[in-house]
Amino acid sequence: MSILATKDTHVVIQGGLAGVNAARRMAEFRYMIKQPLNVSAFVYPPDAGKTNEIICGTGLVMVPIYKTVQEATANHLEINTSLVYIGADRAYAGTMEALNDPHIKTVSMITEGVPEKDAKLLGKHARKLGKIFNGPSSIGVVSAGECRLGVIGGAFDNLVACKLYRPGSFGVITKSGGLSNEIIWICSQFADGITTAIGIGGDAYPGTDYVSYLEMFENDPQTKAVVIVGEMGGDLEERAAEWYGAKKRRIKLLAVVSGFCQESLPKGMKFGHAGAKEGLKGEGSARAKSEALKKAGAIVPDTFGALGPAIKATHEELLKTGQVKPIPELAPAEVPKLPKTVQESMKDGEVLVTPLIKSTICDDRGDEPLYHGYPASELINSGYDIPHIIGLLWDNRLVSKQEAEIIKRIIMLSADHGPCVSGALTTIIAACAGIGLSQAVAAGMIMIGPRFGGAVTDAGRWFKYAIDNKLSVEDFLAYMKNNVGPVPGIGHRVKSLRNPDKRVKELVGYMKSLNIPTPHLDFALEVEKVTAAKKDNLILNVDGTMAAVLVDIGFPVDSLNGFFVLARTIGMIGHWTDQKRQGSRLIRLFDYLVNYASPKRREVPPLK
Amino acid sequence: MAKVLEGPGMGLLRKWGISTPNYVVVTSNDEFDQLSQVNDWLQKSKLVVKAHEALGSRFKLGLVKVGLDLAAAKAAVREMLGKKLETITISQVIVSEAVDHKEEYYASAKSVRDGVDLMVATCGGIEVESNWDKVKHLSLEIGDTPTDSALSSLVKDAGFSGDTAAKMAEFLKKLFTCFDNEDAQYVEVNPVVLSGKGELVALDAVTLLDGDAKFRHKDWTFPFAAEFGRAYTKNEEEVMAVDAKVKGSVKLIEIPGGNIAMLPAGGGASVYYSDAVVARGGKLANYAEYSGDPPDWAVEVLTEKVCSLPGIKHIIVGGAIANFTDVKKTFGGIISAFRKAKAEGKLQGVKIWVRRGGPNELQGLAAMRALQDEGFDIQVFDRKTPLTDIVDMAMATK
Repeated sequence: MSILATKDTHVVIQGGLAGVNAARRMAEFRYMIKQPLNVSAFVYPPDAGKTNEIICGTGLVMVPIYKTVQEATANHLEINTSLVYIGADRAYAGTMEALNDPHIKTVSMITEGVPEKDAKLLGKHARKLGKIFNGPSSIGVVSAGECRLGVIGGAFDNLVACKLYRPGSFGVITKSGGLSNEIIWICSQFADGITTAIGIGGDAYPGTDYVSYLEMFENDPQTKAVVIVGEMGGDLEERAAEWYGAKKRRIKLLAVVSGFCQESLPKGMKFGHAGAKEGLKGEGSARAKSEALKKAGAIVPDTFGALGPAIKATHEELLKTGQVKPIPELAPAEVPKLPKTVQESMKDGEVLVTPLIKSTICDDRGDEPLYHGYPASELINSGYDIPHIIGLLWDNRLVSKQEAEIIKRIIMLSADHGPCVSGALTTIIAACAGIGLSQAVAAGMIMIGPRFGGAVTDAGRWFKYAIDNKLSVEDFLAYMKNNVGPVPGIGHRVKSLRNPDKRVKELVGYMKSLNIPTPHLDFALEVEKVTAAKKDNLILNVDGTMAAVLVDIGFPVDSLNGFFVLARTIGMIGHWTDQKRQGSRLIRLFDYLVNYASPKRREVPPLK
Repeated sequence: MAKVLEGPGMGLLRKWGISTPNYVVVTSNDEFDQLSQVNDWLQKSKLVVKAHEALGSRFKLGLVKVGLDLAAAKAAVREMLGKKLETITISQVIVSEAVDHKEEYYASAKSVRDGVDLMVATCGGIEVESNWDKVKHLSLEIGDTPTDSALSSLVKDAGFSGDTAAKMAEFLKKLFTCFDNEDAQYVEVNPVVLSGKGELVALDAVTLLDGDAKFRHKDWTFPFAAEFGRAYTKNEEEVMAVDAKVKGSVKLIEIPGGNIAMLPAGGGASVYYSDAVVARGGKLANYAEYSGDPPDWAVEVLTEKVCSLPGIKHIIVGGAIANFTDVKKTFGGIISAFRKAKAEGKLQGVKIWVRRGGPNELQGLAAMRALQDEGFDIQVFDRKTPLTDIVDMAMATK
């Protein structure tokens, strides 16, 4: 047996993220005691109609979200308890809604910083309806082996350490959330553990106070003793003392009160919870409370530290008089365990996982990315540049200074080629249609292919084929004609021998000035001599030149188109921002630029 | 609970129809000069000048001057503004119009468990202190308003009669309306005086508002004042600014002269730690508390302030077994601040004592323990050591 939160408790949680987190903690508790989740519904208007996924053991439970408490209880007739996780400014209305629902008997408010007047009005309303309003600022309620409301008890390991999987004999009532957990732990170590622990909240005027819960514990045969943790201010402890001393009680009462330090503090200085305030005439001091409790017959240790031994002595007496029986401890194998996540199992060396992908270029698991093993910041601070990052990420190697310079020049030369080419034009059309940067640039990217900018890889492949197989220019051209088609990297739409491409000249000139072996470039220039002699515009184009140079400095063929893609991305972003800056409007093709070659207007035949 | 200074407190009374003397809050001599040129009453009436700061015993400190003409008031303003008193400098004074009166009464409203207590007495001023039994109460349940007949019998019971009784009943009705609508926790008007014109006037107001209700009072534009008879220190204000920004809470109160620095977790446990220090004869250098899983940087700021308290011998990093405050994360903030303080040479000869449990306690405690290797004088205990034993151990060392 237990009070307030029992095996028959079914919950609606009012609130968003904090409520979902609480539900997850509650699910852990239910998993520990091998029971299904007792959270039936959420009420959170912004997400009404959706569901929250709550992990229960190894499975997921979908808990529906409703707009109102009434909808939740109408759809889940078992609901009898509400947990309030609504912000302080809306908590009053939400709690009223729950209290006024006929299905709901108990409302526990976790919200902190609720105006005192609101809390008092809610308390009065609950009393009028004969319901329990617990809180505000309550950490929650937990009944060992039965039910947990809220996050009280903390992480799963702590629930197990505190033996919350089975009932003991001690009830706990505290204002402080952190100390509730401490007392639960003490009861489990110095005695046989708890029945129910209740956080009533640290505000000045809790909705339900010690006396109401003491009365409930008195009527719960499983509970043999109750521990209350009090604090200075107000008169809750005095009222508890009055209740305990009024007549012979079945339960034993243990209590500690904080705030003795008050006596030696500068006048008016107060510590602790909102509720820990002195009365007008100094009533409510820790000393007065302690005295009152002692006089009523409660066991009141002088310090918090002496509470453990006092609980122990009480438990031993209960054992001696036969009121409680020793509870056998669980064998280690029987102690509940939370299922491990895949990561935890892997860390413990219990499972073998076949990775889905393999990556050789970058590891982001530390505090900064490692580019093929080198920390990005160290590369930056050691004077490395963008071409080195390209080398690491595209070819798993640190390129030399000279190679980096070549890469840089290639990118600079091909960054843009005006608004008329397929890629830039497409990006501009997209920009004018109001499309965003990444989509508009991607539209331009789609144009890169066999006829525009996308011949670098193929050019590199065939020049490399020729060199690897030691082909002469004649044999190469014959091979290409018979097996492939036009030579990639040769030929230009507008440029010719008489109107040479300055970019090609620049790159070739630079390579020649370096006095390094450039077999692929040399071969490509030899090919050009033959093809250009046949037709004026069959010159080595910029794709072909880049390809030959990049193969010469050792880049893999498959990466070569990447250099054009990378370089032209710069230009396309420029075209997009250019249009954006000008506030360009939607454009369309003029109809005089279209040859309308479709049939003239004619009659539609009847449908057969 | 949030204390409000006299000026804004009187403003709230006026808002709800209670007469107060004319008053101005001034921050400079020039401002007062200009105010005196445009306000007739400043030139014609006898004046009262008071320091407008969160200070106790203003009378004793010579910070209240009465029966002044304008010239004397100007001199008093000049004397008070900028005056330094221990931790604070007086930056505001309130100048109000003296009200001729014969009788002084007492009236207050106080939040109690079931609602509101209205209190009234025929003796006011300092007289009420020695005549507490003459103060009569009317207890009102929350949500109820006082009826005319209840008020009328209250004031008669307190010894008011005739015309004055009717006026006092009306006064209390307004006081209650003000209290109820302004989410007040305590409003004390002492004295209420019967002016020469036969009107009840509130001469002074002690006002405590419910700070948690600020969200529904957009006109609470005034700052809240410290409740303990002194202004907040710079460190306290900085921690309050952090507290206002973060989820969870961080709190600091400095206590000059102590040598045991406190850095415990939890609104409940922190007071037990303070009690333990006092019980063992120690002198607290501060009160502090963090709870509700605050971000590590907020705990770091709090720790920096605690480390910089003068003359400390021990730092008590105590805490119960947390429900959801992440021990590893919050300890991370504490550790960063400890390292910073040590680098600045602040923690020389200071012993640090740690006891804690909760989510990720093993990692958090291990990280603290590792500080021993960095030369910190630190002892670390887990949940198996009772809550306040570290205080006993600290106090047992010399």
